[in-house]
Amino acid sequence: MDIVKDILAILIFPAGLAVMAGGLAYEWIDRKLVAQLQNRIGPRWFQPAADIVKLLAKEEVLPEGVDSRLFYGLPVVALAGVLTAALYVPLFGLAPAHSFSGDLIVAIYLLSMLTLCSGLAGANTNDRFSLIGATRTLTQLFSYEAPFLLTLLGPAIVAGSWQISEINAYAGGHWLLFTQPVGFVVALIGLMGKLELPPFDAPEAETEIVAGAMTEYSGRGWALFRLGKNVELIIGLTLIAAFYLGGLSDPLGFLLKTLALLLAVAGLQALFARLRIDQTVGLWWRAGALLVLAQLLATIVLKGMTA
Amino acid sequence: MRLGAMFGDMFRSLFKRPVTELYPFRKEPAPSRLRGALTYNPAKCTGCQLCVKDCPSNAIELITIDKANKRFVMRYYMDRCTFCAQCVQNCRFGCLGMSNEQWEMAALNKEAFTVHYGREEDLQKLLSTNPHE
Amino acid sequence: MENETREKFIIPIGPQHPALKEPGHFEFSVDGETVTGATVRLGYVHRGIEKAAEERNWVQDLYLLERICGICSHAHALAYSLGVEKLAGVTAPPRAQAIRQLVAELERVHSHLLWLGVSAHEAGFDTLFMFSWRDRETIMDVLEGLTGNRVNYSVNVLGGVKADIDDARADAIRRGIDFLEERTQHYLKIATSDETFLRRTRGVGYTSREQAEELGLVGPTARAANVARDVRVDVPYAAYTDFPVQMTLDTRGDLEARFVVRIRELFESYRVVRQILDRLPAGELTARMPRRIKEGETVSRIEAPRGELFYFIKSNGSDKPERIKVRTPSICNFAVVTGTAKGHQLADMPMILAGMDPCFSCNDR
Ligand code: SF4
Ligand code: SF4
Repeated sequence: MDIVKDILAILIFPAGLAVMAGGLAYEWIDRKLVAQLQNRIGPRWFQPAADIVKLLAKEEVLPEGVDSRLFYGLPVVALAGVLTAALYVPLFGLAPAHSFSGDLIVAIYLLSMLTLCSGLAGANTNDRFSLIGATRTLTQLFSYEAPFLLTLLGPAIVAGSWQISEINAYAGGHWLLFTQPVGFVVALIGLMGKLELPPFDAPEAETEIVAGAMTEYSGRGWALFRLGKNVELIIGLTLIAAFYLGGLSDPLGFLLKTLALLLAVAGLQALFARLRIDQTVGLWWRAGALLVLAQLLATIVLKGMTA
Repeated sequence: MRLGAMFGDMFRSLFKRPVTELYPFRKEPAPSRLRGALTYNPAKCTGCQLCVKDCPSNAIELITIDKANKRFVMRYYMDRCTFCAQCVQNCRFGCLGMSNEQWEMAALNKEAFTVHYGREEDLQKLLSTNPHE
Repeated sequence: MENETREKFIIPIGPQHPALKEPGHFEFSVDGETVTGATVRLGYVHRGIEKAAEERNWVQDLYLLERICGICSHAHALAYSLGVEKLAGVTAPPRAQAIRQLVAELERVHSHLLWLGVSAHEAGFDTLFMFSWRDRETIMDVLEGLTGNRVNYSVNVLGGVKADIDDARADAIRRGIDFLEERTQHYLKIATSDETFLRRTRGVGYTSREQAEELGLVGPTARAANVARDVRVDVPYAAYTDFPVQMTLDTRGDLEARFVVRIRELFESYRVVRQILDRLPAGELTARMPRRIKEGETVSRIEAPRGELFYFIKSNGSDKPERIKVRTPSICNFAVVTGTAKGHQLADMPMILAGMDPCFSCNDR
């Protein structure tokens, strides 16, 4: 029952709120950066928070023909999942709240919960856009998940540990960005795929399928999913910064490193046209997975030779 | 074929001010020819009604106060006007024009859209005979 | 069993859909992500303009018809004025005709840039969308300065034009055009070289020349399939005899070709605009028009930004038209969506649709 207590603690404890506030702030920075890159003005600083407040205040419509337990439950599970994952990562440069050997694997799977939940949520409704969106969400999940996992394994192997805090500590002395550049790039792009940011936003391409799997969500459920995405953004950035950018040990370093990553993410978002889902899958399996695999092999061989 | 053909634009705009106009807070002057609200100069009007005849949206009425002395009041329904300037074109005496300053015409009630143009005393007279106007 | 599982899964797009902020309805039957069929339904916002035109006098109709479409308002007003002038046996003075052509070409620039942004957005390429619309503001400002409004220019009157051009105005237009020409070069380069964008356009929505002829396509959509069809060249009107344009053709017939043709047409417009400004004929702006138009009927055709715009005008000798029939270019081009959809990915559909530059206000008059 430990986990339940943790979830409760997170939802009530101010730290959970801090994570969500951080997520909203990062969403704002991301939107503002994209706007700046497109020579626009972008939203004001409280816009993401205002959106959430507005959504929470709104009526939640239960569409016909859905399983209402799933419909209401999935957003909660998704948000709880990412918030739990937040326990294991060095957010804001502080030591993780929980740490045990193998927590990396747990964190990765908790992060995938959000995608799984939104896929399920889409499949749960009868809406055509949701169904197509759900198919695409899950298709995309299968294509980026393996390469993304491998990119986090690379640092784990050189650090010789499956514990996030230990890898973080090891990375403090080694900028893995330079020894494993491919892993870094793929991890960053994988994060964008995970968050369904452009150009990997085929699962929610508004010009084709409205909002994809989320089409039928309104009010509270939609707010929770969005919060989940924001938290996942900040966790993903933290993980990559911790593993590849020389570790995270203080709040200032955290800010600098994650914001630099966010700038790169925003740039990539603005730079490309949306990929079709078949192109996304092709890209990940043909380029992403192979490259990372090659690098992983190289890492293992090198480590074997030096050991 | 190259990746990221718009990189240059994006990089440069990183250091540029956004072009978005901060409209209600900062207002740019309108071009001189802008067709805003109609203006009417009663001094030259002969009451020929040519302007009224071709108005595509029946947005103007000419009310005769005193035909012999050429006293007219123009009732202008701003909300119906399509700002096409046909009336301006039709008036041979140059009584009509379109303002380039008065173009923010949103209002919360419909009354604000019915405007009377004319000499002060004619307007007085019109309003006193028709208290409901 | 086979039939049951293969039951048609239909994706509706419109009349309310974020891909298409316009009232048209498309149904794409899909098998997974592959489209197996497409149908189109139009007419959601029929406004009865043709009938309303019979109730108003000739001058009032000019402004009514100008409001058929916001993007090519001048095209409608121009086609109508030319038609009515033909019926009345009046020709607008050369200076007026030149200004009409000038505004028509400026309008084409604004329309094509608008389209570039919209189709970039359909491809999820919002940066191109934002930048092309930012630059489009230049042409909007030029048009606003010249005519007094951004959308319904209202530059025509029966028998001529309202707005004159002096040297200062001409310079302002030249400056705008110079800036846009440079930017257009850049956009041409992006549309033909950006890898992710080309993946969405190259080979997508291909129509062969024969198919394009058969579907009766018009405008840039037809010209992208090498169908030489351009009213400005075939039957020059307004001042197009004095300031001729070259037809822009492409042989490839896919979406990329439609991008290239439209963007290259812009250069032709810039060139013609400069030429008109340099050699603007002197003289009157309007010719006298009778209030009653002689009995008779006529056809007036012009090349709107989206293709051939067709007006049939019939007069019974009174001060009101007896019948006005408008056929707009978009209705001819919708066939390209239903004709080429099959076999494409669902994700290509908004692109193909945007590729023909649909205008729903044209359709629903
Ligand atoms: S501008 Fe046009 S619509 Fe307005 S009053 Fe004059 S003629 Fe009528
Ligand atoms: S056309 Fe001119 S002169 Fe005639 S009634 Fe109208 S404003 Fe007066």
